Amino acid sequence: MKITKEAIAGTLESSDLLVKVAPNQKGTLEVVIRSEVIKQFGKQIRRVIDDTLRKLEVSEGSVVVEDKGALDYAIRARVQAAVLRGAGSEELDWRQL
Amino acid sequence: MEFEFTAVRPQESPNDVDEVRKLLAASQLEFDSPVQVLVLCRVRGRMVACAGLDHNVIKCVAVAQDFRGESLSLRLGSEIVALAAQRREFHLFLYSPPHNRELFRGWGFYPLVEVPDLVILMENSPIAIQRYCDSLRLRRKPGDRIGCCVLNANPFTLGHRYLVERAASECDWLHVFVVKEDASTFSYDDRFALVAAGVKNISNLTLHQGSDYIISRATFPGYFLKDKLVIDHSWAGIDLLLFREHIAPSLGITDRYVGTEPLDTVTSNYNVDMRYWLHDATSCAPAVTVVELPRASIDGIPISASTVRRLLAEGDFIAIQKLVPTSTLKFLQIKDAATPLAAGGANRT
Repeated sequence: MKITKEAIAGTLESSDLLVKVAPNQKGTLEVVIRSEVIKQFGKQIRRVIDDTLRKLEVSEGSVVVEDKGALDYAIRARVQAAVLRGAGSEELDWRQL
Repeated sequence: MEFEFTAVRPQESPNDVDEVRKLLAASQLEFDSPVQVLVLCRVRGRMVACAGLDHNVIKCVAVAQDFRGESLSLRLGSEIVALAAQRREFHLFLYSPPHNRELFRGWGFYPLVEVPDLVILMENSPIAIQRYCDSLRLRRKPGDRIGCCVLNANPFTLGHRYLVERAASECDWLHVFVVKEDASTFSYDDRFALVAAGVKNISNLTLHQGSDYIISRATFPGYFLKDKLVIDHSWAGIDLLLFREHIAPSLGITDRYVGTEPLDTVTSNYNVDMRYWLHDATSCAPAVTVVELPRASIDGIPISASTVRRLLAEGDFIAIQKLVPTSTLKFLQIKDAATPLAAGGANRT
């Protein structure tokens, strides 16, 4: 899957996260994570995000995450929503996720 | 506590705007037009928070004193960012007094440039400015004297041609940027094409697309306010410090070229400010020399794009012919034949 347009999902509120996706001119996948709890949970957050992107088969795009201490399933849901909006895709194999 | 959020257009809701003004005044802020849309938050009918949006710039943000320190600010931020996204604006900017930097960090905004003690410009990306500077760095050229000029070219005249030619002859390399904002008589694509045609035979020159970071609605809102002739001196500092601290170092620019401005007050003040912010002001970045070249004249009259637009409105192609290169003339004739243009005399050059 390829991010073809800009999109967001989520909020900036506590225990949530805002995910911003955009096309990437370089043709690569770039993921930038900012989190209030990056020191405690940075590795875990990155693992969840990378895992979600891999299952969605996102190969190209820019993903910027502003995390406010969200739990794993919230992270997964927000990343999925932002990617689907940014890929302009309606079809999804939910079993994959 | 029940927070009620609504979005309104200022011109349709004068009563709301009055309330917004009061809320802003309580934070020593003024209503900063233009604002296309406002997000308002009420609790039992009382307005407790507001935020405005003008294209990709967030402004007029305030939260009532007795509601601070709650989570309201973050909800307000989420609302305005979501509203911007609905309007297809994703790369957002905001101005803030420096002491509110941390508050807006919570909104996912990062500092770009600061006029000390006065105002800070932030953008909603931790990487966008670096990515932009990386792309500029790829187009760096060797040399001791690297010049730059930024043109709106609305439209490209022999005056612009003279400025670019002189600058290129004095420098090892010249970088030319075209103002990207579509707030002028001629579209960005047309202006860019006319500059490209007009500078074609200058070999030591790179023509760059404009960006949000160089004389844009975000970095220099006053430039596009056609009625407002006096721009706050300090605000020009934002655009110029951004140039000095990010763009100039990426391209190794040592000199910025401008034409003297006998006709246009906004641009004339901007040239004075330019000397201060690029050269005299203290900054983490090296100084950039400002070279002001006298504006080219024909028959003793300075050539300006605003004169060309006025003549175009009058359909006086004989006079226009003296002021613009052939490429621009042809374009104007075709354009004139297709649609009579209502050329705005107050548009920036």
